[in-house]
Amino acid sequence: MIRIAAVGDVHIDRDVLGRFRPALEELPDRADVLLLAGDLTRHGTEAEAKCVATEFGGLGVPVIAVLGNHDHHCDEVPGVLAALTDAGITVLEGDSIVVDVDGTRLGVAGVKGFGGGFAGRCASEFGEPEMKAFVRTTGTVAERLGAALRDLDCDVRVALTHYAPVPDTLAGEPLEIYPFLGSYLLGQAIDSAPTDLAVHGHAHHGSERGRTPGGVRVRNVAHPVIKQAYSVFNLAREHVSPSAASGI
Amino acid sequence: MNDYTEAEVQRALAEDLGIAEQGISVVRAGAGLVLCGEVESPHRRDEIVRLVHERFPGIEITADIGVTRAAAPTEAEELA
Repeated sequence: MIRIAAVGDVHIDRDVLGRFRPALEELPDRADVLLLAGDLTRHGTEAEAKCVATEFGGLGVPVIAVLGNHDHHCDEVPGVLAALTDAGITVLEGDSIVVDVDGTRLGVAGVKGFGGGFAGRCASEFGEPEMKAFVRTTGTVAERLGAALRDLDCDVRVALTHYAPVPDTLAGEPLEIYPFLGSYLLGQAIDSAPTDLAVHGHAHHGSERGRTPGGVRVRNVAHPVIKQAYSVFNLAREHVSPSAASGI
Repeated sequence: MNDYTEAEVQRALAEDLGIAEQGISVVRAGAGLVLCGEVESPHRRDEIVRLVHERFPGIEITADIGVTRAAAPTEAEELA
């Protein structure tokens, strides 16, 4: 069994330092890896990222993250990345990592993702340049996520995003803002590989559980949704993905 | 308060760098506004109320904002 801990949208700044630490000290007894689903900082400064590094660094298990929209706000992404990687946190954006857990290879592919909406109610690459750029951005990152997932050579495959790949886990959010919360293109990318679990954040008023059309379990781990320091998902070693070879 | 106040408050909460909160609902109730949601610290809750009072004087504010719990989980989800 592989035990995956995950949380997103922790929005760390100096005023939050130490809040997660007591629960994190217990994490190695409960989980083999920690996934951080974006919005690690309050508004994306290097100083805040150093607070994230202090809070989530040195846990004794691998910590794997994607950035969120908040982490981009102050245009300090290189400094944010440096602060996190200096603390041993792996940050994914269109790439992947394989972690050995007692002989089982856990593969995690990640992207921040972007919006656009969901099948039947989504934005199209049509019209003004700004609109086309918006939709093209999501298409590009979704393609990178799909390629990273398909290229993984591992036993258990997990997709990590900030934006949501399905509308199921947005239940509780106003319908009007769904196009800003995620995109079906991320779900399609997840279904293009035999993915075992997809984890995202971003939707603070959403709900925990959903599935892609291909049957991959999706979990929204935004901190205000899970209302605990992190959630833990136990995945069986011999798990067979429902989306494997589904052709979606 | 007018028909655009809710939108102005919501944008102020997101765009003010001392706040940067997108997860707070702003709902008009009678002559005032109700602010709902969760933040990561009591300080952030206080700052939200302070900013809205400062930028929108005279509007009655009811803050129903919680601080998200950060305890260790009591159980894991089995995904067999």
